[in-house]
Amino acid sequence: MKREEIVERLTLIFRKVFNEKDLVLRDDLTANDVETWDSLTHMLMITEVENEFQIKFKLKDLNKMKQVGDLISIVESKLQ
Amino acid sequence: MTFTSFNFLIFFPVVVILYNIVPAKWRIWFLLVASYFFYMNLQPVYALLLVAVTGFTYFSTRSIDMSDKEKTKKRMMRWGIILVLLPLLFFKYFAFINNAISDALVSSGLSLGLPKIELLLPVGISFYTFMAIGYIIDVYNEEVECEKNIASVGLFLSFFPLVLSGPIERAGNMFPQFAKMQSSKYSDLVKGAKLMMWGYFMKLCVADRLGIYVDAVFNNIANHNGTTLAFASVLYPFQVYADLGGYSLIAMGVARCLGFAVIPNFRRPFFATSMSEFWRRWHMSLIQWLTDYIYTPLSFILRGWKIWGIVAALMLTFLISGIWHGAALTFIVWGLVQGVYLSIEAMMQGKRSKFEKKHGLGEKWWYKLVCCIVVFVLFAFSQIFGRCANLQDASDVIGKIFMQHGPLFLDVTTLGYALTCLAILFIIDFRDEFLPNRFRLFESRYIVVRWLSYVAVIMLILSFGVLDSGQFIYFQF
Repeated sequence: MKREEIVERLTLIFRKVFNEKDLVLRDDLTANDVETWDSLTHMLMITEVENEFQIKFKLKDLNKMKQVGDLISIVESKLQ
Repeated sequence: MTFTSFNFLIFFPVVVILYNIVPAKWRIWFLLVASYFFYMNLQPVYALLLVAVTGFTYFSTRSIDMSDKEKTKKRMMRWGIILVLLPLLFFKYFAFINNAISDALVSSGLSLGLPKIELLLPVGISFYTFMAIGYIIDVYNEEVECEKNIASVGLFLSFFPLVLSGPIERAGNMFPQFAKMQSSKYSDLVKGAKLMMWGYFMKLCVADRLGIYVDAVFNNIANHNGTTLAFASVLYPFQVYADLGGYSLIAMGVARCLGFAVIPNFRRPFFATSMSEFWRRWHMSLIQWLTDYIYTPLSFILRGWKIWGIVAALMLTFLISGIWHGAALTFIVWGLVQGVYLSIEAMMQGKRSKFEKKHGLGEKWWYKLVCCIVVFVLFAFSQIFGRCANLQDASDVIGKIFMQHGPLFLDVTTLGYALTCLAILFIIDFRDEFLPNRFRLFESRYIVVRWLSYVAVIMLILSFGVLDSGQFIYFQF
């Protein structure tokens, strides 16, 4: 799957989970930039991403996700 | 020795001066010796526990680092955590469990005459144990590099500004600073002194003054009516905020005078408009620790249950937080109440957000004010369990608040001083929250305003402060 398609599908998930209709994903986007992105909604987003791409994260993967770019890279590597 | 003791007034300037005199390569050892001297001034024998926890932490992290196999790394992490936790479990919970079993046997007529055990809790053990566990897990997760210098690990766990009550620091923040210890800069000394001054004001003028009234009421629940108990319950969260918040500012200031930047612990919590926001502003270092090492792994394991997995993880996390605060049923209930608040909020979040957007409430000042008051009342209610000695007392307080009204007990002098200082603290917090770059006092560009502010705060401390070296509330944890 191409990176653009991953970003497109992630954008839909982010908009739904964080309840932000116009949210645009950037590599350097972090929880500090989205008001409703906290430790509670974070895990809901993770579950949605796993279901969407049919992948399973490890706890160590979660610790490496400092910004959206990291999430995209990890999803990309899981799909290869 | 504590920050409010006379000894500290001598110890601190001496340490700052010597720190800047000793050669850079010896500074780490100097601070290690100074930190142990500081700790041993309070509880000499228990410094051995600190040494033991340092040893366990050092050897487990080194073993994790040197091993190539994932299985061995995991085993060493688990053993490290168990060994580091053992002293905390023994000193904090052994007496509670032993006495509970003994009481149960006596009440069921099966008395075995077990001796009751009362151990003196090693001060700071809950804090340095959490720091050690965090470091071990961070090394396992490859979040931080394993520190090879045992003096650094020793200093990380015993660093005197933090050892008694935190903030619960992270290896990732402290080790890089230990690696390049430089002389104190003038700007650090000034910034540190300002933080300390405001911290002493919060502790001595607000927390300890409020404490006189709150203690008088809560230590004599039977003789006070519901109106007085409700008033004391409203004051108690402010007392805790000023006590631990003040302590944290002094800790940050002391560290800053030596050139170290320590993480903050509070960010004007009473301006939070939701419980989850409140917990991002209150005792932040503990909550961040619990989020990273308890809540995240738990909610990750339980993520298949979706929102219910989050609810379960929240309940368990705050249950652990309650137990961390103390081995008593009151703290367990306190933790569960927080878990219930946050769970309900998590389940309602979507609806609340839609409601606020539909009616355009997000930016309305009166709506924010109502939310702040609701959050405060909910937290103050939960703190009744944190303040009372047992569940019976807590239920008496709650019962009286709702059922038994009467004239308010007034200690005019104490309340006059306390509420004046609380009002000053509130105004400064209000300014920092809503007008962050205006009406600066300590940071004014006019030297006259700056110095008048310093003198005013020092005068306030000397006039209104409780200067008999009162204990900090969080020393008991």
